[in-house]
Amino acid sequence: MFSVPFNLYKKKEKVNGHLCCTHEEFLVYVNDELRETIRYDEYDEYACEQLVGCSMMVARKDDVTKKYICSFTQDSFIAFAEVAKIVNHYLTTGIFVEKSGIDEPKCPKCHLPLDGYAECPYCSSKLRVFTKLFKRLAPYKLPFAAAVLCTILAELVNVITPYINRILVDDYVIPAQEATGDYSIGWSGFAILCCALLGSVLISTILDFVNMKASRHVALNLGQDLRQDVFNKTLDLSMSSISKKTAGELISRVSNDANKIQSFITDYGKDAIIRILSLIIVSIIIFIMNWKLALLAILPIPFVIFIVDRIHNTINMHFRRSWRFSNEHSKLLHDALNGIRVVKSCGTEEQEIEKYRVASSKWAKAAGDAEIVWNLVWPIMDFVLTFGNYFILFFGSKMILGVMPSWGTMTLGELTQFTSYVSMLYMPLRWLMRLPRTFSDVSVSASKVFEILEEQTDVRDSKDCIDLDIKGDIEFDHVYFGYKVYNPVLKDVTCKIEQGKMIGIVGHSGVGKSTMINLILRLYDVTQGSVKIDGVDIRNISQQSLRSQVGVVLQETYLFEGSVLDNIRYAKPDATFEEIIQASKVAHAHEFITKLPDGYNTKVGNKGHTLSGGERQRIAIARAILHDPKIIILDEATASLDTETEKQIQEGLNELCKGRTTIAIAHRLSTLSNADRLIVLDKGRLAEMGTHDELMRKKNVYYSLVMAQRKTTKMKKADIGAAADVKVNA
Amino acid sequence: MEAKELAEEKFEIDKLEILDASKLEFYRDDAGFVSLKYNGQEYFNVRLTRLTPFYSATTYISVAYDNEDNEFKEIGVIKDMKELSPEQYKLVDDYLEYKYFMPEITRVHSIKDNSRGFIFVDIDTSAGRKTICIRDWYSNFRMLSDKLLYAVDVDGNKYACHDIDKLDKKSMSVLEIYV
Repeated sequence: MFSVPFNLYKKKEKVNGHLCCTHEEFLVYVNDELRETIRYDEYDEYACEQLVGCSMMVARKDDVTKKYICSFTQDSFIAFAEVAKIVNHYLTTGIFVEKSGIDEPKCPKCHLPLDGYAECPYCSSKLRVFTKLFKRLAPYKLPFAAAVLCTILAELVNVITPYINRILVDDYVIPAQEATGDYSIGWSGFAILCCALLGSVLISTILDFVNMKASRHVALNLGQDLRQDVFNKTLDLSMSSISKKTAGELISRVSNDANKIQSFITDYGKDAIIRILSLIIVSIIIFIMNWKLALLAILPIPFVIFIVDRIHNTINMHFRRSWRFSNEHSKLLHDALNGIRVVKSCGTEEQEIEKYRVASSKWAKAAGDAEIVWNLVWPIMDFVLTFGNYFILFFGSKMILGVMPSWGTMTLGELTQFTSYVSMLYMPLRWLMRLPRTFSDVSVSASKVFEILEEQTDVRDSKDCIDLDIKGDIEFDHVYFGYKVYNPVLKDVTCKIEQGKMIGIVGHSGVGKSTMINLILRLYDVTQGSVKIDGVDIRNISQQSLRSQVGVVLQETYLFEGSVLDNIRYAKPDATFEEIIQASKVAHAHEFITKLPDGYNTKVGNKGHTLSGGERQRIAIARAILHDPKIIILDEATASLDTETEKQIQEGLNELCKGRTTIAIAHRLSTLSNADRLIVLDKGRLAEMGTHDELMRKKNVYYSLVMAQRKTTKMKKADIGAAADVKVNA
Repeated sequence: MEAKELAEEKFEIDKLEILDASKLEFYRDDAGFVSLKYNGQEYFNVRLTRLTPFYSATTYISVAYDNEDNEFKEIGVIKDMKELSPEQYKLVDDYLEYKYFMPEITRVHSIKDNSRGFIFVDIDTSAGRKTICIRDWYSNFRMLSDKLLYAVDVDGNKYACHDIDKLDKKSMSVLEIYV
């Protein structure tokens, strides 16, 4: 049906291998020779295992790796994972899918991984991105038009100034030998010219002011719109889309990328129009004035563009290198100072000082190199760029003196005007040289921002979804799920949780306990099967209605910046103060809150009062009680607390769970002593379900978990005993 | 009864077990894995691991297996592979070289930066010439010691140059501003 090439086989020597898949078996060909035939049904499952420098495909029976099939370098991993997925799907359903989407797609143009984007942000049409960006200007078209108009007018005024200067020089600056006899100066004309000059300065200042105000208005509003839209959309995305991006990246999208676009619009968007316009106008003027001199002025430009293009990367690299060393330097500083107790207690000060000296000197050298390159290149480039000026002065003065009749003649005023225009020509040119880089930078930022704005969230409310008044029956019906489709975390999980019962989920870490909870909350959608609440598939319940009726207490409670009151009220913003106190009382939080210096107004969060783990959990429980959910989820709610605090919190939790369907995950099995039933997960499958006594009698997975935990508890006790002995002996 | 059982259990502190190379008998089983006979016991699909992969490829090799409960169990550590017989050495070395498949960089022709956090490095390696694409090169193309250059490409393939001083002058000058 299809075959996938592989390049390693048991040894490191490269081979030319093919893994061929038929409807019934794998055929392993190595260097065109059939090595092995493996029937699919000989094993339960096929998987890819990652080694260090390569990966291999293996077959498993009863979750134990039993057979080696072939190996390959990491670039083929996805393809083989896909094969394993297809064959596993065939083994469970009997259906052979011939085509399935690859999980981590690459851009067809630049072949770089897409990193969760639907379209490569680097290769998407720049024009399209900018069209989208300018469409966002629509609500501010009036101030934007005013800004553009003011800039054009200011530029026109600037073009007039050198012309006035020329008249001033030609008519009023008279060489001494020609001025003999007649000393009369047309004062009225002179005054008009002076007024015109003054007027032009005044007008351009007014125009600049209006322009600045209008463009600031546009940019700030546009930036705000963008940031708000990106933030709204980010909160709306599904967990799987969000987890593809790091928190840092999302923050950077909301702030940095949106800011970059904002400043581009103010500094470049409008400037681009005017700079290009002024370049054209000035070029036309100087070519009309004297095309030969104009050619001389622009002569060095192609050279400069060529050289800048060539050395740009080198300069850039030097600066990045310096940035990298500075980063390493601060990391080291951070390390040594944060771990100062370890450094002191190990007596490694000398070692750290030497490490710091090396890092610091590396940074200094890299920064020095970068500065040298920069200071060497740019003045030379600038000099070469403006070299045309020297040609103009040389040939222009010869034309004034009339020693080059073939080039025509020129007055002093004309030369002054000409050189002014040439300087005006260089300004947009310098700017234009930097433009491609800024342009591509911003287009990347803009496409990243639009990517978020246009992303379709994959956990969506269906059209006919309902608002369900939840009673609390939960059912897992042959649920399969994996964060990466080729690596299932939950396999064929089927169970029923009755209304009002407390269920504990137990199992080794990484077995899929928290995943089950994520599925109940519908943070992700199942790959196969369904999760039902009160008999309704949760994909048919609106997310708002579902989550508003499920309360969660996690291991680490995140307290938002604000007061204790704000944090408890978070789950129900319209709760009265009495309700809040009542909830705090039930959660056993009221007592410690009363003892806080500012009571319910005590500031907590990043920069606020530091609460202990137990106190934070009590706030979380109060929050959950206030929320009044139908289903309660306790995900290691008391794991980070000592047993004493756990006991106190437990009372609060018992109050919270009364009469509500409760699902609790805990490593410490004693925490689940109140549970009506326990679900035991093993290797992603539901291994057992029953009460503590039933499961202990079975002597299976749960029994060994309990025994293993008793062992560790006993070892801990033995350690404490030994330590006590040592003390006594001492 | 249960309490009695528990009371009788003894707990030992894990100790470093240096394996007696003369008693080790590695072999490739029918399923294609490396298995081991040692001290009269047979271990299926053993896991050989270089404990210091960057500093030494043939010393301190951990030999482990997964027991029936899928728990990691270490049989012991081979102190130096030289103590193994030539055939055993070859078998273990072949396996390790394959597990840690990491072509050696022998020459660097050019490095191009696409200004998007990716670099394209044109290199000669012990597995042939290749242009590798590296994402986030600050982390994935760097020196692990004064001499050891380590590179991981976008697909996760790894490359190393164990002594960059042995590279030719041109390669060094290309590398200079990146490491």
